[in-house]
Amino acid sequence: MAKASHLILCVDDETVGLEVRKILLERAGYRVLTALDGQTGLDIFASEPIDAVVLDFSMPGMSGGEVAISMRKVKPHVPIMMLSAYTSLPAEVCSIVDLSMTKGEGAPALLQKLGSLVPSDIPNA
Amino acid sequence: MNSFNIDRILRKVLIVPIVAVLLGACALYWQMHQANRTVALIQTSDLEIAQIARMETLVIDEETGLRGYQNTRDRRFLGPYLIADKQMASQFERLRAPVRNTDAEHPVNDLQTAFEAWDNGFAVPLIAAIEAGANTSDVNLNLGGKHQMDDVRRRIAALSSNSQRQRDAHIQYWRAQVRTVTVALIVVALCIGLLIGVYTRRLMQDVSGAFRQSNNVLRIRAEETFRSEQKLLTTLQSIGDGVITCDVDGRIQTMNDVAQELTGWTEAEAHNLPLEQVFKIINESTREPRENPVAKVKRLNRVVGVALHSILIQKNGAELFIDDSGAPIRDKRRNLVGVVLVFRDITLAKKSQEALLANEKLAVAGRLAATIAHEIHNPLDSVANLLYLMDGQSTPEESAQFLHLAKQEIARVTQISRAMLSLYRESSSPVAIDLKNMLESILLLMDRHFQAAGVSVVTNLPTDLVIQAFPAELRQVFTNLLHNAAEASASNGVIQLAARPCPEGLDSHGRPRDAGVMVTVTDHGAGVPEEIRSKLFKPFFTTKGERGTGLGLWISRGIITKHGGEIDLASSTDPITHGTKVSVFLATNPTISAG
Repeated sequence: MAKASHLILCVDDETVGLEVRKILLERAGYRVLTALDGQTGLDIFASEPIDAVVLDFSMPGMSGGEVAISMRKVKPHVPIMMLSAYTSLPAEVCSIVDLSMTKGEGAPALLQKLGSLVPSDIPNA
Repeated sequence: MNSFNIDRILRKVLIVPIVAVLLGACALYWQMHQANRTVALIQTSDLEIAQIARMETLVIDEETGLRGYQNTRDRRFLGPYLIADKQMASQFERLRAPVRNTDAEHPVNDLQTAFEAWDNGFAVPLIAAIEAGANTSDVNLNLGGKHQMDDVRRRIAALSSNSQRQRDAHIQYWRAQVRTVTVALIVVALCIGLLIGVYTRRLMQDVSGAFRQSNNVLRIRAEETFRSEQKLLTTLQSIGDGVITCDVDGRIQTMNDVAQELTGWTEAEAHNLPLEQVFKIINESTREPRENPVAKVKRLNRVVGVALHSILIQKNGAELFIDDSGAPIRDKRRNLVGVVLVFRDITLAKKSQEALLANEKLAVAGRLAATIAHEIHNPLDSVANLLYLMDGQSTPEESAQFLHLAKQEIARVTQISRAMLSLYRESSSPVAIDLKNMLESILLLMDRHFQAAGVSVVTNLPTDLVIQAFPAELRQVFTNLLHNAAEASASNGVIQLAARPCPEGLDSHGRPRDAGVMVTVTDHGAGVPEEIRSKLFKPFFTTKGERGTGLGLWISRGIITKHGGEIDLASSTDPITHGTKVSVFLATNPTISAG
């Protein structure tokens, strides 16, 4: 699985949702790290060579928007995809992240959008 | 020029003639007094003349008696002489009396001397000679007696003519005096007339000037009064509220346009009719007639405030929701002389209020809808992902695990949807509510919200707290209170939600209260400053800026009041004990008021 060794960081406070998403992405050939809150996610983001971030917007404590702003400060080039259970996100959040999608759109949509953020022709880090 | 000045002038006008007439009367009195003195002098002269005449008679009597005795030598002829001679001395005294101390004394003395010379020198010796029988016909002797008598007579005549002259002089003087008085009277009368005429003319000019001025002032005042009355009338007519004034017996005196429009009666029709005939009000919920404000003002003798929930029945039978108030009209001595009644149509306001209530309900629903979308989308996302996984190359064991997870997530969706449905199920009558169940389902729906705010909720909810109420409305209240508590709390804050049974007793204001439940929501936020605490329950007051409608607490209180309950807020901004505690009392079996 040389081509799919992109390292993805998933941050979500929903345990079940996070676990299912991890399995899904691993099946699709990504390596996945997970975090249940923003602060843990930021720590992993800083220490690991993350290729892309799948971030939940609504989280207790630090929200997805705040996490994204902090990540941009550390590694501005890493693409971030924002997931939300709400139908619309605040405009300032949309302008920070590369992509956003509503939860429940389905696995194919998620994989397709993530694939567009980390093209397979990018060499392994 | 005022009435005082007019009085002054009128006094002057009266005083001048009175003074003038008094002066004239004084002069006249003096003149008459003088004339009286002159008359007294004339009378004295008359008396003198009479005395002189008497004297003359006595002298004649004496001489005649003497001559008769001389001729006849009969003692009887001597009678008149003797009688007169006895009176002579006193007659001389009388004659002297009026002229005692005057120059006229000498002629009388001279007369007496002359008479005594005749009497002693001729008459007495002659009588003695006759008695002695001597001859008395001697011519010389008799001629001497005659000469003496002539002298006496001449003196009497002189005295008499002197007195007559004096009398004439007095009369002349008296006439002159009368003339003088007459002339003086005419002159004084003319002068007084002239003076009064001139003076009164001048004063009358002043008076008429003053009168004109007073008239002007009065006219100006009347115009001012009229203008101010018109202004008041216009103000009254322009007021947006209905205004009715009644006399002290409650009979209608005036109605402004709005009052005529609202009651359906014209002012002319309603004039002098009893108020209750025109202004019929009933209680909104019981439809019992209400005591009219005039009776109430008369009974309480003070301003009567707005009576809530009144319906005014118009002349044509149509109904209006109104607020009314009454106030006593008093005269200067504070006696009640009438009552003014002010009322307004609040039908529109009531509709607006209903619209506001619906609006807040929608806002609450909107906030909850966002929560619900979040709550449903999360499990939905997992389920979708799980189904995708099961659709692919999964082992039967993996599939079984995915299925189990999917079922769990679906169960979560179901639970949330149930909670949501119960929130929006309206019931037309109060139903039994288990407070623990209801509050926990609210917490479930708000769980996400609490997590996002970083607050935790500690509950102390005993089982079996069952009350009769409208569930959807109570949910709205507690959602609102919990929402406020979460917003007030700092991150990692704790909200306490507790309920406890409350036995029958007295409430915080000392009023009796039925048995019920006390639910308290306590946060440890910054607390509410005292100056805004009283405004919290007012509509459109919000501390949340754009995010709040400012209706939450106002509506919450409305709902609790409708449930016959009470909502109280205690708050502290103390650095250590800061926080807010909202207590809601709900009766177990409340009397639900209409609303």
